[in-house]
Amino acid sequence: MNTTPERPPLASRVLCVLWPSFLMAGVLEMLVFSLVDPGSLQWFGGVPVEWAPQAVYTVAFLVFWLVVSTAGALTQVLTTLPDEPETLPRRPSL
Amino acid sequence: MENTPTPITAPAGAAGAAPDEDSVVAVVSLYQKQKKIYARGVTGLFATWRWSLVWLTQILFYGLPWLMWNDRQAVLFDLVSRRFYIFGLVLYPQDLIYLSALLMISAYALFLFTAVAGRLWCGYACPQTVYTEIFMWFERKIEGDRAQRMKLDEGPWDLNKTWRKSAKQVVWILFGLVTGFTFVGYFTPIRTLLSEALSLGFGPWEWFWVLFYSFATYGNAGFMREQVCKYMCPYARFQSAMFDKDTLIISYDAERGEPRGSRSRKADPAKVGLGSCVDCGLCVQVCPTGIDIRKGLQYECIGCAACIDVCDGIMDKMGYPRGLVRYATQNGLAQHFDKQQMIRRILRPRVMVYVAILLLICGLFVASVVTRNPFRVDVVRDRASLARVVDDGQVENVYRLQIMNNAERAQHYTVKVSGLPGIAVSLTSDIVVGPAEARWVTLNARIPFESAQKAGNGAHPVHFSIERVASPDNPQAVTIEEKSTFIVPR
Repeated sequence: MNTTPERPPLASRVLCVLWPSFLMAGVLEMLVFSLVDPGSLQWFGGVPVEWAPQAVYTVAFLVFWLVVSTAGALTQVLTTLPDEPETLPRRPSL
Repeated sequence: MENTPTPITAPAGAAGAAPDEDSVVAVVSLYQKQKKIYARGVTGLFATWRWSLVWLTQILFYGLPWLMWNDRQAVLFDLVSRRFYIFGLVLYPQDLIYLSALLMISAYALFLFTAVAGRLWCGYACPQTVYTEIFMWFERKIEGDRAQRMKLDEGPWDLNKTWRKSAKQVVWILFGLVTGFTFVGYFTPIRTLLSEALSLGFGPWEWFWVLFYSFATYGNAGFMREQVCKYMCPYARFQSAMFDKDTLIISYDAERGEPRGSRSRKADPAKVGLGSCVDCGLCVQVCPTGIDIRKGLQYECIGCAACIDVCDGIMDKMGYPRGLVRYATQNGLAQHFDKQQMIRRILRPRVMVYVAILLLICGLFVASVVTRNPFRVDVVRDRASLARVVDDGQVENVYRLQIMNNAERAQHYTVKVSGLPGIAVSLTSDIVVGPAEARWVTLNARIPFESAQKAGNGAHPVHFSIERVASPDNPQAVTIEEKSTFIVPR
């Protein structure tokens, strides 16, 4: 008998990564932009970033979201042990 | 194939299924098949409460951005100019502390409510519940109540089904769009946004956020519904930490209800050997998360009290006393407390601690908002031009001052400096800063040659005192002290 708990379906695992990281991206956005003025950004410390503030806020938020979700996804991968060979999903017989 | 994730009672057969079946699971689980929940409409005391809160929160949410205050939007989180306006309060990014305090107050209030009466937030005020309620109301109006909706879903795509389903989608999408628009209206002046909307002239970022938020509302309230609470909500997972046996939760009085069973309305339950539960199943039908409250406290229960309302209705019909399903504490049920005894237990140490912390943070918050300076100053020594000796042997340092006016009117400021003998600033007139504006001013401070000699080379601490000049509407002059250094070169 297989005693390892059943993994939740992929869709709910994806949501479990996306949603908390959405919240945390919001927190990060608040923290970062209360300290940083999007009008004073420079590319690699040189040329000014001439984007509209809304663009900076939005793109930064999406980047934060992506990065935090990557962390969540990695956690998902690391907490899942590799399957035993015999329990690997087989091709359904055609 | 059992495919619904039921973590508490995982089907015993699923784990040991044949390999071939496993592979099927692996293929289909990507598109998880959820049993669709057809929640039945309900009326009653708690439904009235829930609807009152829907109205209250939505009037607030949709109405607030349209309120004006001193010729500007009363509540506006203006990200472009980096100012938050909340009625008379103008907040700068430096005021992040207030936002953190607000978040802490919300968190402790949530803890307190949860400790006292379980998931009140989830059941009555959470946007997820509120929008689901609204979307389900549209659904009921267009597709009918539970049985009609089930029939409609099973039936063929005829004209009736097609128009009802499309009408529902149109209404949902429109409602989602209005919600997304209103949401963006908290960050961009909503009247400007409306005129842009009428000409479809949103900027690209406004488009993005309006559509993003509309889609989130539509998806969460129209389709995801209880699954958000079950699988996505962190609060649903940790709220049990705030529970104890004296927390009021929605409970089924099993002692009174069991053994359940149907009977004639005239039958005396004692004689037929039955409890009060007539096993009509309505408590399950009205449940938005599709659980059976008679199985006891379950993590899916969002505390909406729909089952209380519907069961009370049945008890009335049967002529039994109400409250077979009711707000009760676990201790109360076990030890047969009456209402008074249960309420007396609300004031227990855990609740007192939450109340104390909450009062403390609220007090500090209010005090710091009330005593907040009407302006804010940053003093920065100008890095570009270091100290220099000017014509008559005086030593000069250049400073940049940022004055942030938190008031709604233009204000005048004067600057003085102290800390070295004979030090003075070159400022011929008052500095004027417009309403809710921040202004950078460059100014020079000089000390006489003798004073510089006496002080010696290096950096010396100096103090700037910036005074807001008294005016008719602000008769009190306010002074802020800022530290800086004065450099005497070799």
